[in-house]
Amino acid sequence: MANGIRIDRLRHSYGRNGHEVTAVDDVSIDIAENEFYTLLGPSGCGKTTTLRCIAGLEQPDSGTIELGGTVVVSDRVSVPTYRRDIGMVFQDYAVWPHMSVFDNVAFPLQVGKRMPRSEIADRVEQALALVNMSQYIDRRATQLSGGQQQRLSLARALVRQPKVLLLDEPLSNLDAKLREQMRGELRLIQQSIGITTVFVTHDQLEALSLSTRIAVMKDGKVVQEGTPHDIYLHPQNEFVADFIGATTFVSGVAVATTKESLSVETPVGAFACAPDETITLGQDVIIAIRPEAITVSESGETGANTIQGQVELSLFGGEAVDYRVRAGDVLFRARGDARQQYAAGARVTLSVRAGDCVVLPASAVGGPLVEASAR
Amino acid sequence: MTNETLKVARETWPPLRRRRRPGKRRLGIGSILLLIVLMYLVIGPIVMLVLSSAEDTSGGVVISPPFPWTINNVVTVMADPRTYAILGSTLVFSIACLVIAFVISLTLAWLVERTDLPLPGFVYVITVAPAGMPGVISAIAWGLLMNPTNGVLNLVLRHFGGGTEGPLNAYTLPGMIFVQSLALVPLTFLLVTASLRNMNPNLEDAARTSGASSWTVLRRVSVPLLTPVLIGALIYQFVTVVEGVDIPLVLGLPGHVTVFSTQVYLTTHPAFGLPNYGVSSMYGILLLILAAAPLLLYYRVIRKAQDYATVGGKSFRPRKQRLGRWRWFAFALIMLYVLVSFVLPLLMLIYASLQPYLGLFSFESFSRFTLAGWTSTLGSSLFWSSLGNTIAVGLGASAAVMLLSVGLSWIVVRAKSRISWLTDALAFIPHAIPGVVIALAVLLIYLVIPVPVFGTIWIIVIAMATQYLSLGTRLATGGISQIQIGLEEAARTSGARGWRVWGRVLLPLLRPVLINGFLLVFLNSIKNLTLPLVLQSSDNVVLSTLIWTSWSDGKVAETAVLSVILTAVTVVASILLRRFSGAQEEL
Repeated sequence: MANGIRIDRLRHSYGRNGHEVTAVDDVSIDIAENEFYTLLGPSGCGKTTTLRCIAGLEQPDSGTIELGGTVVVSDRVSVPTYRRDIGMVFQDYAVWPHMSVFDNVAFPLQVGKRMPRSEIADRVEQALALVNMSQYIDRRATQLSGGQQQRLSLARALVRQPKVLLLDEPLSNLDAKLREQMRGELRLIQQSIGITTVFVTHDQLEALSLSTRIAVMKDGKVVQEGTPHDIYLHPQNEFVADFIGATTFVSGVAVATTKESLSVETPVGAFACAPDETITLGQDVIIAIRPEAITVSESGETGANTIQGQVELSLFGGEAVDYRVRAGDVLFRARGDARQQYAAGARVTLSVRAGDCVVLPASAVGGPLVEASAR
Repeated sequence: MTNETLKVARETWPPLRRRRRPGKRRLGIGSILLLIVLMYLVIGPIVMLVLSSAEDTSGGVVISPPFPWTINNVVTVMADPRTYAILGSTLVFSIACLVIAFVISLTLAWLVERTDLPLPGFVYVITVAPAGMPGVISAIAWGLLMNPTNGVLNLVLRHFGGGTEGPLNAYTLPGMIFVQSLALVPLTFLLVTASLRNMNPNLEDAARTSGASSWTVLRRVSVPLLTPVLIGALIYQFVTVVEGVDIPLVLGLPGHVTVFSTQVYLTTHPAFGLPNYGVSSMYGILLLILAAAPLLLYYRVIRKAQDYATVGGKSFRPRKQRLGRWRWFAFALIMLYVLVSFVLPLLMLIYASLQPYLGLFSFESFSRFTLAGWTSTLGSSLFWSSLGNTIAVGLGASAAVMLLSVGLSWIVVRAKSRISWLTDALAFIPHAIPGVVIALAVLLIYLVIPVPVFGTIWIIVIAMATQYLSLGTRLATGGISQIQIGLEEAARTSGARGWRVWGRVLLPLLRPVLINGFLLVFLNSIKNLTLPLVLQSSDNVVLSTLIWTSWSDGKVAETAVLSVILTAVTVVASILLRRFSGAQEEL
């Protein structure tokens, strides 16, 4: 792995005098060359701290970090930030307001090894062209919009052709439309130049659409690592299932299993679920169901995997309607067709395909069940 | 792995940095040096003061064992009934000044910011302009105007009322209070007006839309929001009053009114015999306690003030009260105030500078106008050398202060450890030490330490640097905390090492703050009489001490010429300075 990243047993805590908070707790990650690797999690999960340790902006308490085969952090080594072969894009862009666009992008080349002016100019032009900012080269940085500052920041991170690109929630300060557009461009640029990228975000959509692999973090630990496909369709625990989309959880007991399905008895009825060989009969389990997997229809329909419920909340969102539907103790989250909106109070039938019911062992659940399912 | 990266790794292999404990960031050599200088500047004077107050100083201050411990100094001072008389007059003087100054300032601030007063911008500038006038000069001008025998105001008043003396006398406690109050107004106005202007009108509107009457809004929202600023300004100005020697010296000395600051100065420069520094130090400690106690409170208020988020990035325009037909009346009243408080003293000085001797003021005296005072003053080598010294002291002090401040403030803002708290506290301490006490302590230090600065301008520079360090760090801390840390980190992740980050990112971004701070310290330094007076010798005369000397020698015309020159410089400079700096920063 010439340009990969290897993180081994990284640990970092903040605070002093007993008020210590472990931000990163025994994190080990291997990132292959040219991967687009995402650290995903809620705020305070340690994803940004991990990234800052890679950049050298934080000194971890212990652990090893290798960038492109070079040990930059270990018990005995700490390579200062300016000697690490990285480029970083910050959440608030960190564009220097006292410099022009050109000067901002040229900075990494000017402070590094001596380089002829003409070459610096060429490289800056290339970097700006890469992010479609060539026409702004003479502007002052303060004259740019948020989206343009973000592109500038990316050009600055890429201009010295580092081995590793670090992105700290780069899209979160952009408005929704711009964010969508930048998301696509980011992936295109990353693929076209081929650079190992570590991306930090709390936005599951960004993570799923951009990454080659995702590490979902919680309380300083990696709780699941895998491809976007894996993470989304096969969450290994309730936290991941819940974090990646607004999932409904129903607790129950596995009662029968066939080749096609696993039957689970729950307080709101029996469910035919996706088969899972790791589940034994009689085991306490949780069924995770995504909102878009649930079909909302007129009350009265019966059949396999149908639940009768009452609409508590009905939010029209343009392309779809978000429902909270109560059935017994369980509050289902569902997305329904926008052409047929059921009002709050209406009785409806929820139905879900067996393949969309993911069964998780109850032991993998983080918090108390009642709380989780009542959410 | 390329060879280059291997090399990088090897270079750092026998590591300089061992594992560090969590949350701690290592301080570089530069930071440690800065902290040592800070300790020396701040702790040194206090240690010296305490030592000399507890020693028999007849043979000078002793800084190594055996110490000639004694409690005589304490006994002498505390058993002397004069001490309590001085305490009394200090308190009366300062409290009366604060009350008058704040009533005037708040009225002015309210009129300028919250009413439809005509020409508010003009009123703002002319209210603030007198801030440039050094205290010693306004004291001298009022001494000339309100001299009981030949004061110009008295002559005019007697013309109508008759009598042979008075009725006004600047050389009394009320006279001192009058002059000092006027001197406090510009800065007080600046401090209050900024917060009135920055107050988010939504906060008041929210109360109004909640059904509160105007009076309730004022009582429940506006005043509480202003409270921290008001208390802060009060305590700050209290220190200003008790620490200055200029007005109490010029007006109080002939009138036999002594306050603590003049007492400290007088005991270091006795009319007969050698000074007893032990007793001076004891007085200094008392003054220090008097000034520091409320300042500790002030510090807490300042800290807490951050909870009162009245200042926003957006420019607010609070709703303005309509004055109706009082509009121009209020304007005329302000003009009258400015005329009395600023124009009159200035005219007096110009007039006096053009008279051969100060006789009775009459229309005849205008025929005696002469430029003799100007030519002789401008022709004297002492004037030019003291002008040179003034500029050198100003430049030296402001350069030293800003250099130290930027580094220290970076530690305060960026170092995530107890060090930053300690640095902040240490840099704040000089603010609590009255100028006359700093001067005394610095004097004592260089009487003992064999560094050849005694009697030179450098001892004044050192004292000034100590005094204005808190001002400098306050400015620089504000500046640095406005620079998002991401801008520094982006430079580091772009491959820039420490000094590059400073040179290319931090210093350029801080430039306005640095220039502003530099000018502010420069201006304050050349106005300052207290420090150069206590530390004065024949070789380090600056303009302010020259003015005082020629005044006490009775050379009125020369004094007036010097005063006009210095005032012209400082007033113009302070107006220019205000043009591009906020008001809060003077705190």
